[in-house]
Order: sequence, then C-alpha cells, then structure tokens
Amino acid sequence: MAKIKKDRKNETNIPTSSMSDIAFLLLLFFMVSTVFVQEKKFWVERERWPIADSIERIPRNHTTTVYVMRDETILIDDVPTRIETEADVFVSSTLIRKKADDPDLVVCFRTDKETKYGVMSDVMRQLQDANTLVVAFETQKRLD
Amino acid sequence: MKIGRKRKGKAEIPTSSMSDIAFLLIIFFMATTKFDVKEGIRIVLPQAAAETQQQSQSLTLTEKEMTRLQITADGQIVVNKEAPRFYESSELDMLIQQKVKINSQMIFKVITDREAKYNDMIRVVDRLKAAKIEKISLSTN
Repeated sequence: MAKIKKDRKNETNIPTSSMSDIAFLLLLFFMVSTVFVQEKKFWVERERWPIADSIERIPRNHTTTVYVMRDETILIDDVPTRIETEADVFVSSTLIRKKADDPDLVVCFRTDKETKYGVMSDVMRQLQDANTLVVAFETQKRLD
Repeated sequence: MKIGRKRKGKAEIPTSSMSDIAFLLIIFFMATTKFDVKEGIRIVLPQAAAETQQQSQSLTLTEKEMTRLQITADGQIVVNKEAPRFYESSELDMLIQQKVKINSQMIFKVITDREAKYNDMIRVVDRLKAAKIEKISLSTN
C-alpha cells in the first residue's frame, strides 16, 4: 500500500527577538532628547500673552524664563520677587549666576499683556546689570 | 542502589516580555512629553550705561535719523512731535514705510510710559520687526 504523505504546513514565524532592541533604541532616543521643563507651574497662561506676527523660534536649550504677572510679581525658577527699591536685586543676582553657567543665555519673558511697562523696564535694567542682553518676548502667533 | 544524578537546571532570563516593557515605557514617554516650543520677539539690549560711559558720546539726532514713537499710558502713540492718537496696525505699517523711505537706516526709539500696557509696546515692536527694522531702541520715561 502506498504511503499517503501528510501535507506539512510550513510554520510562519515573525522574528521578534530584535523587537526589544528596537524598542529600547526608541526609548533611549526619547530619554536623551527630552528636555525637562524646570518651572513647576505655568504662571502666566498662553492666552494672557500678547499677540504678534513677526515671531521667531528660540532654541530652548539656552533659555531661562522670567514670568511677569499682572500684579507686578516677577518669577524666576518659581521664586517670586518684586522690584520696589534699588536694593531688590534678586533678578540681576540670579541672572549673573545663570549667565556664568551658560554664556549664550537668552532670557524669555512670559509677561501678562495687561502688565504695566514700568516693571518690565525695571527688569530689563537688571538684565543689563547682569549683562544678559539677549531677550525674547514670548508671544502668541496671530491666527487669521 | 541507584544514585540519582543531579540535574543542573538551565538558568534563563525570560526575554519575551522585554519588548512589552520597553513599548510600555515608550508609550509613557510619548504620552507625557509636552513640546514647549518657545516663540517670540527677540531683541538684543544695549550694554549697561556704566560700561559704555567712556565710549558714549552725546549725539543729537534729527528727525531724519531717528523717529520717536512715544506710547502714552492710555495706549495712544505720539510720533515725533505730532499730537497723540490711536494707531491701527495697518496705519503703523504705513508710517514705518514712510519713515524708511526717508532714511533706510532710520532708528526707531520706542518710549513707553511706565503706566502703559506691555501689550501696547509689543504691538509697536512687532510692527517694527515685521518691517525688518534692526535699529530699535526701547526706553521709558
């Protein structure tokens, strides 16, 4: 009697052994490229920023953010301060330290649009004292 | 008496679920990452007066060389010695174009009142930046 051969079905396998390598590679990429936001809180909401057309992108890695709120409170690294007299030099002293760490420092202002200009002027004078001369006023892009 | 051989069990680390763990971590990072792109108007401030005192010379600039844009507390703009009035963005663009036609190297001095809103200053500086003006001076009174 002739032997009837059974049809052998080829098993199809997707190689999954290198899957974890790919996944870890992606994970490493994300971990290396992530820049953690230093501020714990967004003190001035984006909706409160002024609107402008001629805005440019600012590379994040050399920036420090200064929040100026409507009540004239200034926040650097979540530390609130005010400039009321000549002796209030927290802004300049902090920025001198930051400038020493990073000579290409750009100070980004997140200021409430209703803030009076006087306080901004005082802050900018302290920036000049700290020799941090490159500033950026963060704005919303006008959507037409 | 039979002496049983000790069978050494093969030590293996199960790696089949490694990719699951890794993908889970990736999803966590992707979901929690918030891209915080900074965009704004960039300006370079002049050096502090004390440092430049020796180099500074008093210059008298005429209207042909410098345009004064004085922003009052209520948001009106005084152009040179004209009467204060409110300017629309398009009017500001026209004004800047006119001044640049007179002198392509025109300096714009934005003098903002201490009581004026920050928004009014940004509006003027934005129009100047839009017109590709490089020589902008910021001051207050």
